[in-house]
Amino acid sequence: MSPELEQCPRSLLVCEKGNFKNEKSRHESQALKHSFNCRISLLIPECGRLPVMLEKVLSNFSSYFHVQDFPVSTFLEEKWLDAVKKGGFYALSSKTRIDEDNVVAVLPSGQLILSLDKDTYEQLGLEGRPSQYSHRKTVRHIVTVDLKSLVLGTKKYQRVLLCLKERVPLKTDFLFTAAGGAVSLLDLLSKQLYEECRPALHCRTLQDLLCPSLIPSDLKGESGSVTPTQFLEWLGAVSLSISCDNQATSFLSTYACPEPQSSVSQALLCTVTGLISPQDVCKLLTEIRRYLDEPKLTSWVSLTVHGCADSPVSWGSAEHGFHKGGENFYNFVCFQNQDYWLHMATGAKDACPP
Amino acid sequence: MEKKPTPYERVVCKNTSLYHYMKINLVFDSRNKSLSAEQFKQLIITGLKDLYGEVGAAFPFDVLTFNQTELSAILRVYHSSLVKLWSAITLIGSYESVSCAFRVTQVSPFLLALSGNSREMEVF
Repeated sequence: MSPELEQCPRSLLVCEKGNFKNEKSRHESQALKHSFNCRISLLIPECGRLPVMLEKVLSNFSSYFHVQDFPVSTFLEEKWLDAVKKGGFYALSSKTRIDEDNVVAVLPSGQLILSLDKDTYEQLGLEGRPSQYSHRKTVRHIVTVDLKSLVLGTKKYQRVLLCLKERVPLKTDFLFTAAGGAVSLLDLLSKQLYEECRPALHCRTLQDLLCPSLIPSDLKGESGSVTPTQFLEWLGAVSLSISCDNQATSFLSTYACPEPQSSVSQALLCTVTGLISPQDVCKLLTEIRRYLDEPKLTSWVSLTVHGCADSPVSWGSAEHGFHKGGENFYNFVCFQNQDYWLHMATGAKDACPP
Repeated sequence: MEKKPTPYERVVCKNTSLYHYMKINLVFDSRNKSLSAEQFKQLIITGLKDLYGEVGAAFPFDVLTFNQTELSAILRVYHSSLVKLWSAITLIGSYESVSCAFRVTQVSPFLLALSGNSREMEVF
């Protein structure tokens, strides 16, 4: 077999270590840059029930709204433009695949991103750029419209309106969420047929779990601790209920919990699914830090945030694509001494996380 | 004396994962057949041997999970063997004379990514 077939598309894993109390710590800005989150999972060792304060934060996550057949040109109406200008507004087309369909998103920065296939792009007539993950032929274009700088009645506004309303009246299902309380989605969606959804919380207690022993100062696993890759693999195994017992006679699997390891009597795994705003993630992170401030049996808590595979951006406005998978996620490991590890992972069609 | 805060450190790793993970499921043409996890793995090994021969197929892979009702599984394979495994399961067409096919749902170098696939979630 050709040796080229043994190579895989590149993937990136960025690992950071720091302290929450450090003034220059970027933990919050990193989380805020990751706009479209579809699931978070929280792993708390030596914990049987979700602590009240954490439960309060999780149950207060903002609702998100599902609207069917929403015309993209609606974003150009005055009240929508005003809402976008206030900030904290997130919109993402749903049931659209970034490698097959037209995908639309509005970022909190006020940018309307249209990731379009070749035909739609040519009919639309708005200037864009070829997707940076095109192969030999460009089959996808990215059009960015800055809604914050659009002024009603101007030439530019009329042109964008003409393109989105008459040339290609794009319509798709959307998910909306807003953070910070400046935007009232209920008012905005009053003329639409919408469905209000609550992020779904699911908790499960794991008994007698084998955990790798983590040393906060050893991010890379150089002094005999686990490496970031091994740790993330183990977290994945726990989330997917994969057995960590390495039985020598097993025909099926040779997977084992990485060494050095210790056994914890119980651990709590909570997942929240829905369109989760980065602001809600930051609130949860702050509460986890508070939880660890009090004396606890566990020395760390892990928080994983999964990004949407079909979002046109991953961090900030960096283009995101789908190759074999659309993975873009990050994981915080918060330690008792307020140190943290941050792992950010992306697949082949993604820029390096910030 | 107050302890110094941990210094900031950043490491960028490219293609750091030794493995790739595949979420697959087996679908039968007409009637559903019941398979154990061992039979499921043996079916894949047979497919590998048919396509690449004894030597070409001599690489390890793990069946990390297996759901007997849905006939779905998560496989772990060295990234250098991913193409071989993928091609072999694509070409498996029958089990005990019943037509079947493997569907690949997700492939990633990160196992953790398989626990949060937005394409499998109802609302997305």
